[in-house]
Amino acid sequence: MKKLIAIALLTLVAATIPACHKIEEFDNDPKGNFMALWSILDTHYCFFSEKNVDWNAIGEKYYRRVYPDMTQRELFEVCGDMLDELRDGHTNLSSGFDVSYYRKWWSDYPQNFNLRIIQENYFNFNYMSASGLTYGILEQNIGYIRYASFAQPIGEGNLDNVLSYLASCNGLIIDIRDNGGGDLTNVEKLVARFITRRTLMGYISHKNGPGHDDFSEPYEYYVEPAQQGRVMWGKPVVVLTNRSTFSAANNFVSVMQYIPGVKIAGARTGGGSGMPFNSELPNGWGIRFSGSPVLDAKGLSTENGIAPSPGCEVDMDPADEARGIDTILEFAIKELQK
Amino acid sequence: MKLLHAITALLLLSATAFTARAEETVRPVTSTYTLEAGSAHLHDTYLTPLGYDGMTTAFTYQRAQAMKFNPRHWVMQLRLSVGMDHAENPARNATMWGTGLTAGWNMTRRWRLPHDITVAAGGGTALNLGALYLTRNQNNPVSAKCSWTLDATGYISWNTRLLNIPVTLRYQPTLPLTGIFFSQEYDELYYEIYLGNRRNLVHPAWAGNYFAMDNAVSADLKFGSTWLRVGYHNTLLSTKVSAITTRMISHSFVIGISGEWLSLRRGAIPPQSSTIISAY
Repeated sequence: MKKLIAIALLTLVAATIPACHKIEEFDNDPKGNFMALWSILDTHYCFFSEKNVDWNAIGEKYYRRVYPDMTQRELFEVCGDMLDELRDGHTNLSSGFDVSYYRKWWSDYPQNFNLRIIQENYFNFNYMSASGLTYGILEQNIGYIRYASFAQPIGEGNLDNVLSYLASCNGLIIDIRDNGGGDLTNVEKLVARFITRRTLMGYISHKNGPGHDDFSEPYEYYVEPAQQGRVMWGKPVVVLTNRSTFSAANNFVSVMQYIPGVKIAGARTGGGSGMPFNSELPNGWGIRFSGSPVLDAKGLSTENGIAPSPGCEVDMDPADEARGIDTILEFAIKELQK
Repeated sequence: MKLLHAITALLLLSATAFTARAEETVRPVTSTYTLEAGSAHLHDTYLTPLGYDGMTTAFTYQRAQAMKFNPRHWVMQLRLSVGMDHAENPARNATMWGTGLTAGWNMTRRWRLPHDITVAAGGGTALNLGALYLTRNQNNPVSAKCSWTLDATGYISWNTRLLNIPVTLRYQPTLPLTGIFFSQEYDELYYEIYLGNRRNLVHPAWAGNYFAMDNAVSADLKFGSTWLRVGYHNTLLSTKVSAITTRMISHSFVIGISGEWLSLRRGAIPPQSSTIISAY
């Protein structure tokens, strides 16, 4: 009897030893947190090769700035500086006191957008809003829709109302300047109003291992036209972009650029084609980074932005802006009047 | 597959040999309802490199009955369990939830030993459906945990008395041997699966990539027809596939009620000569 009980207890103890599959662990001190951050990016970040980043060299460079007695803010600054080397607007370190953010992807470029000019000088503050869409008819009988963020949901009914109202217009301007992205399902919902058949949106890929070049085969994905009975748009369209058109908004442009009758006007978009992933450090800081690259319908990366259609690259003229004229919007109006 | 055929043949043979005897026996059902509460450790490298610690709770229904074809030696058990875990990261600024639904069935051959000791060994199958949810993550907040396994199981039990109360002490380990389980690829978003990419999501389970163990220790204190069950339940799941490592461990205190029930058709009273063969 005693032997049986002993065997049972030994089996029980053996079963509770949690050493089945090893998991790398990091200390919760400055060096441990730094190494955890470096390691998470090293094994999950998806644009090392595309951006020609030597992550080992960067790690060595910033590790030298880490020392045991440094404060949390000092460590945060070192980590933030290291992440800036990735030149990625989707990569942020979040602490209780700050969020690191690489801003040069838009701060080094002209803004090319002034919302007040449109509200005041083109609509005299007389525009409508439905869901996340602001819309109205310009005096040249051209419809105008501003979508400020793909994070704001759009209802199918809202789209029907907006497109019905604009149905008599000769053309449509979709203004997604300063649109920093949001939900890709809203991209699908909006694109679905401008296509007549199942359309290739692009390809999505993901890291399938910790190596810098471990990627799955790109998977093609499609968007279907909106359901029968929904209001569609078949007239010419100009999509307005600037450098702050980013992430899901960049994805919208990557699809719209290949749809017949659609032109992209303004400035190169900001990119942000990597679907963000989240992770965290032992001290509780969160880290977001690009983890899954999305390619356009031609299999091309849009991480560095999408150029406007040929002949449609326009910057806001400061003299125009001073006089209350939106140079890019004026260009789009002329394109639609041709 | 050969193993399955062999088991089926063995069962049919046993059934034929013991049919006559089975007609003279009554096989009560032992039903048990238990609540569990204890500690949980959740770790899934798809969601985070950090282990989360917290608490687990579960409700379990178990049903055991001697098999008709050979009630003295063969017993089946059915187990349905629903559980929930709540855990925090080491910095205690993020929360992970775990949910799970388990349905398991097994059949064991038992041997009565001297001193009211019974040992049993056999096999079974289990279906597990669940998920881990890390609230701080945006595009990768969930890691689904689904599996279907073929298990080895057994138990040792001892009928004795404690403070003059009849008690059954029992220890039952269950060890999945093979099966299939779900896992997304290394950094694959569920959005990509939603878009239709279903490649490489189901994986064969073997000891190298899927190790799980369930240990249940219980004491049934028999106060008349209703028994009080107290015990300890330990679960361990460790998987590594597509370079994603998962480790989930729980230690729970168990309390519940149990009893033997006889299901009879109206007016069908078993003859006095019937032999009652319990699952315990």
